[in-house]
Amino acid sequence: MTAVFLDGIVLGLQLGLLGVGLTLIYGLGGVLNLSHGQFAVLGAIVIARMTQADMSLWAAVPAGLAAAAVVALAADLTIMRPVYRLQGEARVLLGLLLMLGLGTIIDGYLEWKYPIEALNIRISGDPIPILGVPMRVGSLVASALAVVAGAALFVFLRYTTFGRATRSIIEDEEGARLCGINPSLVRSVIFGLSGALAGLVAVSRAMTSPVTSTAGVSLTILALIVAVVGGLGSVSGAFVAGILLGIVNTVSAFYIGTYITAIVLLAAAALTIVFRPSGILGGGT
Amino acid sequence: MTAPATSPATGRAADLLRAYSPIAVTAALLALVPIRYSDSRSMMTVIIIGMVFAAYTIAFNIILGSTGQLFLCTGALAGIGGFTSAILTARHGWPFLPGVILGTLLASAIGGLLSWVAVSRSLDAIFTGVVTLAFSLSYENLVLGKKDLTGGETGLRVKAAADTVLTTRVAPYYVFLGLVVAYLVLYRLIERSHVGWAFRSLRDDEVAAELSGVNVTRYRVYAGLIGSAMLGLAGALFAHHREFIAPTTYAFGAVDVRVLVMLVFGGIGSLLGPVIGAIALTIVDEILVDFAQLRIMLYGIVIVVLFLGFRRGVVPSLESLGRRVRRRA
Repeated sequence: MTAVFLDGIVLGLQLGLLGVGLTLIYGLGGVLNLSHGQFAVLGAIVIARMTQADMSLWAAVPAGLAAAAVVALAADLTIMRPVYRLQGEARVLLGLLLMLGLGTIIDGYLEWKYPIEALNIRISGDPIPILGVPMRVGSLVASALAVVAGAALFVFLRYTTFGRATRSIIEDEEGARLCGINPSLVRSVIFGLSGALAGLVAVSRAMTSPVTSTAGVSLTILALIVAVVGGLGSVSGAFVAGILLGIVNTVSAFYIGTYITAIVLLAAAALTIVFRPSGILGGGT
Repeated sequence: MTAPATSPATGRAADLLRAYSPIAVTAALLALVPIRYSDSRSMMTVIIIGMVFAAYTIAFNIILGSTGQLFLCTGALAGIGGFTSAILTARHGWPFLPGVILGTLLASAIGGLLSWVAVSRSLDAIFTGVVTLAFSLSYENLVLGKKDLTGGETGLRVKAAADTVLTTRVAPYYVFLGLVVAYLVLYRLIERSHVGWAFRSLRDDEVAAELSGVNVTRYRVYAGLIGSAMLGLAGALFAHHREFIAPTTYAFGAVDVRVLVMLVFGGIGSLLGPVIGAIALTIVDEILVDFAQLRIMLYGIVIVVLFLGFRRGVVPSLESLGRRVRRRA
């Protein structure tokens, strides 16, 4: 039981980081990034290709994250421009559909060029006992990576001027603009950052299980579930929801079965929307 | 309404003619298509599937186009119709017709329920989209997991309509064309009834509609019930025509994305838009058939280009062009 629980936390930290990237973009511009998982896979495949060309992981990982960030930034600077010109529901709908299209393009490209590619990062070392459970070094490094990235993001959003500007746009775009903040600049930077975060999640995942070139859609869906349960736009909510759902996922997969588990996670998202749309940390309706 | 010289009776006839003649013309043109392709079984399959998708898209148009509910579960609702009728006939020995009817009713009930939940919790389009997407994926997992009922990944053989017109080479095309025509007529009938007035008023301005006494909940749920029944029926008939269904037959990636593209391309909220979108995409698919690996990527490009530059769709664009030409004449 403890082992399952700990595995759940490892997965949960990754899910949290995945959800944060999605929720930040939604909070800033109302764009539901349905290609978030594809950004992650794109980063993973770049890293996989580079390590196969005998490059060290220390060079390949930054390159992979940069690739994911550049694609995300490029999306923001091109196809998202007309979206930001719209307001309200029209903006949300167009943003969602365009990102769905972009995700399909990335998926199709990867399936065409690298149908059987996968990123698998093996970290050697003897298992380290945690609470009496021997944990693989890979899982521990993966968790540490997610925790460090999450903490860095927290510090960034809380204590830097740019982070404060980001949060103020999430609160009130018009108000932020009146204070001299340039929402479109912040959005672009955060879009790129969110792409890099997605790549980082892929790196962390690859330490515990292979990230295949076809994993994009399921990662996007997981990100969506986590962000919705955490409350769209809530960074801390996404992290809490990620850890919670990670535990739910492994416990349910271990005791009930995988296909029911998928339904449990999906139901969590649907029920959150229906009964508590602002997420687990937010107030009631 | 018309020129004073015409009597009310002929005015009414002209009005009906104007309302239904586009459907008659479309039906006549589509009825000619098999003349060219009746020799080829593979081409018949392509155009039959085109008709099935036209039917799905008209149904989706009632839900999204008429009442603005973003249902990302077109495939799932068609699949509920398909799998229900397939399981009842193949596993429980039900005859063809009751199986299809029950599949249709179940799809309708579930779609209506989703609609009711969305409206009564006043979810906006994006939340309705996420809830229905979650439903779609749950349905897919259930179909994959409940192997004893659905056959899981290997699929399910459906034999209840063997040796009927549904399983011949050319006739099924006309069955599905008939379904498309019936759906178009239904769409027009709804559009011209008081329900259609309610749909339009709540689409234009929901608050104003509610203030002037339109029961928004009721009409949204009506659209959910009707559209889902249409999806379920088309899905069930398709299952019996193919004589085999698998989870991929109605998968989100295979149905929902295509239906969305077809509707946007043809024109959301227009009568013939879904049919034109289905025809166009079927042709595009046939052109791309030799580039199977590239197809998904090109589909993505089509989605992005469509939504960036052509959100109004073919039919509304042509209509406004026609109006402009007429005004100038």
